[in-house]
Amino acid sequence: MKAEVFTYLVGGKAGEGVKKAGTIAANMFSSTGRHVFQMDDYPSLIRGGHNFTVVSTSTREVLSHYMGADLVVALDERSYGIHRSHVADGGVMVYNSDVVKDGEGVGVPMTTEAAKYPDAGLRIGVSGVAALSAAIGQSPAELASLIEREYKRDLENNIAFAGAIHEHVRRSVGGRFPLTPSAAPPGATAPGNGGRHMFTGNQAIALGAAAAGLDMYVGYPMTPASTVLHYLAAHEVDLGVTVVHPESEIAVANMAIGAAAAGARVMVGTSGGGFALMEEAFSFAGMAEAPLLCVLSSRPGPSTGVPTYTEQADLRFALNQGHGDFPRLVASPGTVQEAFTLAAEMLAMVWTYQTPGILLTEKHLSESRVTADIDVGSAAWAEPVPHKGEGYHRYRDTDDGVSPLLFPPSAESIKWSSYEHDEAGITTEESDTIVAMHDKRDRKGASLKQHLRGVRTVNRFGDDGPVILTYGSTTMSVMEALSAGGIGARVVQPVYLEPFPVWELEDLRDESAIVVEQSSTGQFATLMAERAGVRPSSVITRYDGRPFEPRELAEAIGGAAT
Amino acid sequence: MRDELLTGAENTWCPGCGNFGILNAVKRAVSALEERGIGRDRLFMTACIGCHAKIFDYLSLSGVYALHGRSVSVAQGVKLANPDLKVLAFTGDGAGYGEGIAHLLFAAKRNADITVIVHDNGVYALTTGQRSPTSAAGFEGPSTPQGNEEDPFNPLVLMLAAGATFVAREFSARIDELSGIISAAVEHDGFSLVEVLQPSVTYSNTYEEYGAAVDTVREPAATLDDALKLARQKERLPSGILYRVERPSHGTRLYGDRNPVAGHPSRDKRLERVNALVSS
Repeated sequence: MKAEVFTYLVGGKAGEGVKKAGTIAANMFSSTGRHVFQMDDYPSLIRGGHNFTVVSTSTREVLSHYMGADLVVALDERSYGIHRSHVADGGVMVYNSDVVKDGEGVGVPMTTEAAKYPDAGLRIGVSGVAALSAAIGQSPAELASLIEREYKRDLENNIAFAGAIHEHVRRSVGGRFPLTPSAAPPGATAPGNGGRHMFTGNQAIALGAAAAGLDMYVGYPMTPASTVLHYLAAHEVDLGVTVVHPESEIAVANMAIGAAAAGARVMVGTSGGGFALMEEAFSFAGMAEAPLLCVLSSRPGPSTGVPTYTEQADLRFALNQGHGDFPRLVASPGTVQEAFTLAAEMLAMVWTYQTPGILLTEKHLSESRVTADIDVGSAAWAEPVPHKGEGYHRYRDTDDGVSPLLFPPSAESIKWSSYEHDEAGITTEESDTIVAMHDKRDRKGASLKQHLRGVRTVNRFGDDGPVILTYGSTTMSVMEALSAGGIGARVVQPVYLEPFPVWELEDLRDESAIVVEQSSTGQFATLMAERAGVRPSSVITRYDGRPFEPRELAEAIGGAAT
Repeated sequence: MRDELLTGAENTWCPGCGNFGILNAVKRAVSALEERGIGRDRLFMTACIGCHAKIFDYLSLSGVYALHGRSVSVAQGVKLANPDLKVLAFTGDGAGYGEGIAHLLFAAKRNADITVIVHDNGVYALTTGQRSPTSAAGFEGPSTPQGNEEDPFNPLVLMLAAGATFVAREFSARIDELSGIISAAVEHDGFSLVEVLQPSVTYSNTYEEYGAAVDTVREPAATLDDALKLARQKERLPSGILYRVERPSHGTRLYGDRNPVAGHPSRDKRLERVNALVSS
């Protein structure tokens, strides 16, 4: 199965253009209609260290990068050392022979060639692109036009440098890996002819919320959620979404509640530590019945943890946000497409039910870049229940618990409150009113749960073999592992986690299942045992910050299934 | 006859509390603003938590009763979402100068177009009299029975240094002066801070001290340095609008004349824009 996937890995120091080289490779593959998965591995620093990007591509859908690469390009000595073991059978290592002596593979004097031009250190990543171009059999002219498309600055020098590297690589492994274009995706709006579009999970989340009518995004930078902020800020004008970056996550969440009270569809985003600061406002939103959608993109914790890597250890944190009893929505997308539809669906739902929600994701989905067909027209649209007539009460006690909304400016007095309150929003300490308002919010929670019964809350893949339970970005890893290992299984992926869709999981009660997740304590496994009555026979975890590798995971699943 | 600016909720401030003066001054300011074309439908209030914040329940204005220290953040979110609204953020010395001081400094720094009214009584009254950021050294409260070991903030100096474009101080007993300042602050295009010297009859009864120390400032200081000099005076308490300067407000600098709520797109229009981006 592996042979149908071609993998390119490029490694070097931060600042050398490693990610750029990987992105160009991914664009080149996707432009021919091939499916692509790009994973960037980088430490939390700006210069030095070790970065690498892995790009796996196939004519079929590919849902993970592979760590066995057909072509490895090592720009520095450290990359050579680290990635020697990542060269697949029949694969090629192209390394910088100026810094690695007597290496195995194709030595190219990258530093010497780069030194012929200004800013040699910043240019060296271009050799990653040139080596790939030669190895897949592109001509120097094709490479030149590729460089022209992708590098905006210093074009002439970059083309000359790339040409020299191309010539070195072409002599030994030129055309070693010819890649067939894939059939053009049906009905795709193509970049060029018959290509596929690529999105990161965070871009898909931003686009999904925008498609649901987002008016405002408020964010404070924290990896791996920052690129939602960056993407929306970059497209503030063309999308018409106002983007605000205030002084702290506390300010973010409270500003967002204010914006919602004024009628703006609003979203916030952060990672675990930032979310800890937002938690007070999350509870406030529960009491004030503020429609507040929060993106929580996890990285390894606890505390500052490992900022630029991935983990799923914020599941319990997300489910238990905020002091006090109040309804909330928590869901986690499995793929980039699902990130788009889910962001829209959740924005619509928090506006209908006026309660906070968390879109839980991880670095692995947030920042991986994947070919995806996004169906913009399928997005939900956030539209609250409007107040009609006279005599407005912000917290009118209705049968379904949902109080119609009215926004300023209005002749009516509209009062939202963090205190327990009466229907008019005035503070109360009366026992009957406290009970009535608790009951109203609980009925609203029940209405939300009833609504979810009509929503796709659980994905299932495959109809034979052992049951595998997984969620979030690990779903992609599991699906790719099954392809890689040729394993048949029944994969069950709860998308919604609160309200927990127990009605969709009745058939799994007392069933044994393999659970796959990225936390050290098996948070998801215990959740499934508690809430769905599943009996985890084996819990496959990974918590070193790296996403699962498909072949390794296939082996683990194979072992667990026997 | 029912006062249409009051909700009718039972008032539980201590008899004689300085908060009554602030409530009356705000009501007069609302009437004055209405006469000048700013209807109460466009006024929006936020409040933190504390004795000051009970004004939220009493005043019949739309708003958000926010968390302790967060009314300034909520107010900025409201204003950015709909810049046609005039937003008054009520806070106290504990909430505004303590728990929420960062929000206040940044609101001043970015010249957020909101009016912050600080009910400064120098004590945490609702939680039974602990020292606050503006309590004098030596203040004895249940958390500092041996006397406050810290010196107080000078909030006016802080606000001026942070970039506030409208800074005023007034004594809650001078209702005419205070209402004039509040309406001028609401009309000011940018961040305005109204520091109200407010006695707490139960925990810090300062009526006589303030009454004797207040000096009326007729005109705002001509320069920031002059304003800082006024703000730094200790024996006398210059009161009135100490500083006022015109500077583009946060919303204007962020998005010009956009109004996110009024400009909320139709679904078709928005999908067209998202589609353009997805297909690019």
